[in-house]
Amino acid sequence: MQQSHTPSYWIRPCTWVLLILLALTIAAWGVGQMKLGGLTVVSAILLSTLVKGQMVVDFFMGLIRVRPFWRILMFSYLFIVIALIWVAYFIGLD
Amino acid sequence: MNGVVSTAPEPEGYYPPGDFALWIFIFAELLVFGIFFLAYAFARSANVELFNASQLQINQLSGAVNTLVLITSSYFVVRAVTAIRMDDRKRCIRWLYAAIAMGALFLVIKMVEFYHADAAGIGMETNIFFMFYLSLTFFHFMHVIMAMVILGAIVLKARKGGYSAHDHTGVETGASYWHMIDLLWIILFPLVYVIR
Repeated sequence: MQQSHTPSYWIRPCTWVLLILLALTIAAWGVGQMKLGGLTVVSAILLSTLVKGQMVVDFFMGLIRVRPFWRILMFSYLFIVIALIWVAYFIGLD
Repeated sequence: MNGVVSTAPEPEGYYPPGDFALWIFIFAELLVFGIFFLAYAFARSANVELFNASQLQINQLSGAVNTLVLITSSYFVVRAVTAIRMDDRKRCIRWLYAAIAMGALFLVIKMVEFYHADAAGIGMETNIFFMFYLSLTFFHFMHVIMAMVILGAIVLKARKGGYSAHDHTGVETGASYWHMIDLLWIILFPLVYVIR
């Protein structure tokens, strides 16, 4: 008997990804509305940006399903850019 | 199974989805924007008070709404790719139209933001924050237009039956470019609108 290759979900995985991305964006906006600053807050915002970026890379671009090299390459880009933004913010605190 | 939806299996491969040539272009674009982001961040580190004061004059809500709009448009593009992988051309076209509509909404919100900045007498020459704010967001704005043109071309070809479950590289290529636009805004939003 031939098995179906079409997996079924109550909510698609990509829909969960969308909801998480929207929630993280609203959280970042909330932080901005409260005009919060400081190293801890900015570190949290940048970490959530890294998570959001990697979710787009993995699940929207679909790189989670190809050779790991491409995913690592994109993660490296996100990590380096976001880490340097953190370094620049840290320098600005002085 | 009421309420159960299905997703087409996604292909596993050696290279990213879509035309590999476009991925070289995507990496070049990411590099350019990355340099732009870092130039902003380090310029801010030398002018923290100016950047914080100027940031209060931009509309944070429109930046947040535009982030939600672009993320949602990316989701629509994912659904379009899933549809064509299942050979559902009509559904693919509908999702692409929805993504293009979200792109248009992004442009309208951004143009309103530019209009208000102009009405307040804010320009590139106002200060270094606004030089970066206007040039970065306008550069991204132009990329959204280009991505909408690419999706429009894909819709035209799809309407003529140009894509199928076995031949949809063009849809994946356009989708990858669109996701890159989304990815860049995901970094740009906290950098310019939130961090202080």
